[in-house]
Amino acid sequence: MAFQFALQRRANTSFLRSSLTFSGGLLLGLLLCVALLIQAGVPADMLFDDLVWQVFFQADGLAQTLTLSIPLILAGLSAALALRVKFWNIGIEGQLWLGAIAAMAVSIYGVGSDSYRWALMLVAAMAGGTLWIAVPLWLKERFHASELVVTLLLSNVAFQLMLHLLFGAWRDPTQSFPISPAISEPERLLKLGFGNLHTGLFASIGMVFLVMWIMERSRLGFQSRILGSNRQVAEASGIAVGTTLVVMVLLSGAMAGLAGGLLVAGTEYRLTQHLGWNMTFSGIVIAFIARFRPFWVLPVAVVLAGVYNAGATLKVFYGLTEATVLLMQGIVLLSLLWCQFIAAFSIDRRQEVSV
Amino acid sequence: MSKANFKTLHLRGLCKRFGECTVLENAGFELHSGEVHALLGENGAGKSTLMNLLTGVYVPDQGEIVLDGQPCSIRKPADAMAHGIGMVHQHYRLVERFSVAENLVLAADRAPELQRLSVAAKALQETAEQLGLALDPYARVADLSVAERQRAEICKVLALGAHILILDEPTAVLTDTESESLLAAIQRMANAGKGVILITHKLREVVAHSDRVTILRQGRAVASNLATESLTQADIAQLMMGDVAVSQRQPSNLQTNGPDLLVATGLSASRNDGSTAISNIGIRLRRGEIVGVAGVGGHGQPQLCEALMGLLPIDSGSIQLDGFQISQCSVSQRRSYGLRYIPADRATNALALDLPVSDNLALTKVASGSKGRFWISRKGLFQDAQNTITEHRIAGASPQGLTRLLSGGNAQKLVLARELDNDCVVAITHSPTRGLDVKSCGTVHTALRELTSRGGAVLLISEDLEEIMTLSDRILVMNTGCITGELPGTASASEIGALMIGGH
Repeated sequence: MAFQFALQRRANTSFLRSSLTFSGGLLLGLLLCVALLIQAGVPADMLFDDLVWQVFFQADGLAQTLTLSIPLILAGLSAALALRVKFWNIGIEGQLWLGAIAAMAVSIYGVGSDSYRWALMLVAAMAGGTLWIAVPLWLKERFHASELVVTLLLSNVAFQLMLHLLFGAWRDPTQSFPISPAISEPERLLKLGFGNLHTGLFASIGMVFLVMWIMERSRLGFQSRILGSNRQVAEASGIAVGTTLVVMVLLSGAMAGLAGGLLVAGTEYRLTQHLGWNMTFSGIVIAFIARFRPFWVLPVAVVLAGVYNAGATLKVFYGLTEATVLLMQGIVLLSLLWCQFIAAFSIDRRQEVSV
Repeated sequence: MSKANFKTLHLRGLCKRFGECTVLENAGFELHSGEVHALLGENGAGKSTLMNLLTGVYVPDQGEIVLDGQPCSIRKPADAMAHGIGMVHQHYRLVERFSVAENLVLAADRAPELQRLSVAAKALQETAEQLGLALDPYARVADLSVAERQRAEICKVLALGAHILILDEPTAVLTDTESESLLAAIQRMANAGKGVILITHKLREVVAHSDRVTILRQGRAVASNLATESLTQADIAQLMMGDVAVSQRQPSNLQTNGPDLLVATGLSASRNDGSTAISNIGIRLRRGEIVGVAGVGGHGQPQLCEALMGLLPIDSGSIQLDGFQISQCSVSQRRSYGLRYIPADRATNALALDLPVSDNLALTKVASGSKGRFWISRKGLFQDAQNTITEHRIAGASPQGLTRLLSGGNAQKLVLARELDNDCVVAITHSPTRGLDVKSCGTVHTALRELTSRGGAVLLISEDLEEIMTLSDRILVMNTGCITGELPGTASASEIGALMIGGH
C-alpha cells in the first residue's frame, strides 16, 4: 500500500502563524549564514555580535540599519503596489533616480522659500517618479508594450540623464568627482540625534500606513485585489479596471520617487551616481516576502537593511568577498520565502489510489 | 511508419474521477485495424477525458487498455506514442517559426533516423502522398492555412509511427471542400490498415464516413461499437441526447404577454482574430420568462453572452434593457440597470479563486459603489458574507476562507447569491449547471425560477439540451453564430436536435 504526500493549501493563515514563520525563517537563515561564515574563517565567538548585536541592538548599528531601511521600505511599497495589479515594475531604480533629480532641481533652482523647500523637494520627487512610470503604463495600455521591458530600459535612460546632469550643468565645480553641489542647511531633513537617522523615517513609516489604508480599507484597494487576482472577473463585475490600474501604478512610481527624494534630502545631501542602486531587486524581494501586504513591508525592509549593514561590516573587518556577502543575503531571503511557503500549506499524507 | 499495424485495441471499463466528480464511468469500446470509429457525445460527456486516458495525459482510476491482447500501461504521453497511438488536437502542436519538417525533427525523440531534416522531409512527403494530400515539408508553419497546418500535423503524427490516430473535431475549422478532402484522406488511412478514432459533432460525417460509432453521455458509453450502416442521423441524435423528460417543466404564469425586458436586434460581433462570432442575432425576453438558447458548443455562445454584457464590442445591432438603450453602455452601467451574468466557466470568469469568499460575494456591490464610495468596511463585508452564506446554505464556506476550497456546487451557489440579488432584472446565464451534481443543478434551477416569479427574466444559453428543455418557456436554436429557429418550450428533443444540426 503506497502512500504519497501532498501539499494542501490552508484555508487561511493566521497572524500568529505568519509571525512565527517569519521569525523562524529569519532564524534558520541566520543559522545557515553562521555555518557559512565559520566555514569562511570568521571566528565563531564574534558571529552573533557582528550579525545580530551590532546590527539590531547596538545604537550605532541600529541607527545605520534604520537609515538604510528608509528607501528600502519605499521600494518595497512601490513593488507591492504595482504587483498588486500584476504590473511588473522592474524600473524602481529609474523612478527613484528621477525622483532624486526632481528633488535636486527644486533645490538648485531655489523654488519657493527656504523654510518649506524641503517639502517641495519631496513632492517634486514623487511627481518625478510618477512621471517616469506613467510612460510604460501608457505604452502598455495603448500599445500592449510589455512593462517588464519598458520599465527596465527606462531605468537606463534615467541613469544616463542623471550622469548627463552630474557631468554637465549640475557638476559641483569645487569637487573633483562628478557630483552636484550640496543642498543648503534648511533644505536638509532634520537628524533625530541617533546616528545619521533622519525624519525621512517618519515619511517612510507614514507611507506604510497610508498604503495599508488604501490597500486594505479603500474601495480602490478592494478593486485592485480583484483586478490582480483575475482581470476577467474584474471586468465582468463592472470594476473600473483602467482607473484602478492607473492609480495603483502611479502610486508605485510615486513611492519610488519619494525614496530618491529622501536619499537626496536626508542622507546624501546631494545628487551622486551611487544613489539607490539595487533598489529594484530589493523592492521586489521585500514585496514578495511581505506577500504584498504593506504592513509586513516594514519589518522585512528593516531585516534586509540589517543584512546589508552586516554585510558591509563583514567585508571590511574580515575581508570577505562580495560574493560571500551576496550569498549570505540570498540565504536569508530564500529561507524567509521557504518558511512562508510552509506556512501557507500543510503537508498531508494520503493513500495512493490503486490503478 | 515501418512498424507493423496493430489488429485490435480494447478500452475496457475505464473510470476517471476528479475529486468528487466522476467524469468517466465504466466507458470503453474497441477499435480494429482498418476502421474509422466515431466517438460522439455532447460537451462534457467525457470524450476528451477518454482520449486523454488513451494518450497518457491522465491515468485511469480503473479499467484497462489492451492492445492486441496485451494490457498496456499508458502513464505518460510518451508511452502512448511508443504504442503507436497519436492524436491530432483541435489546437495543433506545431512550432510556428519552424518548417513542417523541422517540427517533425523536434518531435522525433524516439526515432533517431527522423532527426535528419532530409529524412524527415522525405517521410512527410511520402505520408502525404499515400493519403493524397498536398504538403510542402519545407514550408514554415506560420505561413500555412489552417487546413494545411492540420495536414502537417496529421502527417507528422503518422510519420512518427502512429497506427492509431485520434482526430479531435478535425472538420470544425475546415470549409466544406477541405472537409471532403480530409475525410477522403481518413478513408485512405483506414484502407492502409490504420485505426482512426474520429471525434465530431457533425452527424452527417459520422453516417457517411465511419464504420462504427460509440456514444458517450454523462461519462458512460450509452452505445458502444454500433455499426453505422444500420443507423440514421436521427437515431444517433436520440442516443446522444437521451430521452429527455419534459414533465418537470412548470410554466410560469406571466410568460405569455409580459412586457419586454431584454430586446436585442441585429446583434453582430467578431472574435479577437477578426472572424465572425455572432451575426444578426435577435432575442426578445419578456418579464417572467426563461428563454433557452440551444446549440452545440463552439457556435458563438460565449461571445453572445459577452456582447450582451458589454465585454465584447458589437459590430452592429442594438440592445435594450427594460426600455433603456444599453448598446453603448459599460459593464457597470448595464449592471446598474439590473443586467446580471452567470458565465459558463466559474473559475475564470466569475470568481477570483485566490481571494476570500467575502470578497467574491461583495465584488459587484463594491464595483457599483453601494458598499461605500471610497472606504469599505472589512467587518461589514464579513458580516454580509456570513449572512449570505447562512441564507443560501453555502456549505464549507466562511467569509475569510479561500474561494478555491469550495466545491463546484457551492461555488456556483456563491455566484448565484451574488448575481441574482434583489436588483437583478435580467440574468444572462451560460451553462449554469455545467459540472454540477443533480442536487446542485436543482438549486440552480430553483434560483432561476425564483427570479422569473418575482418579475425578472432569464436567458439560458446552454449546450445541455436536457437543461434547456426542463427550464425554458421558449427555445431559440443557435448554429454558427446565428439564431436558426424558435420553438415552444414543449418542443421535443428531436425537433430541437434537427435545428441544431441543420445546415451541416
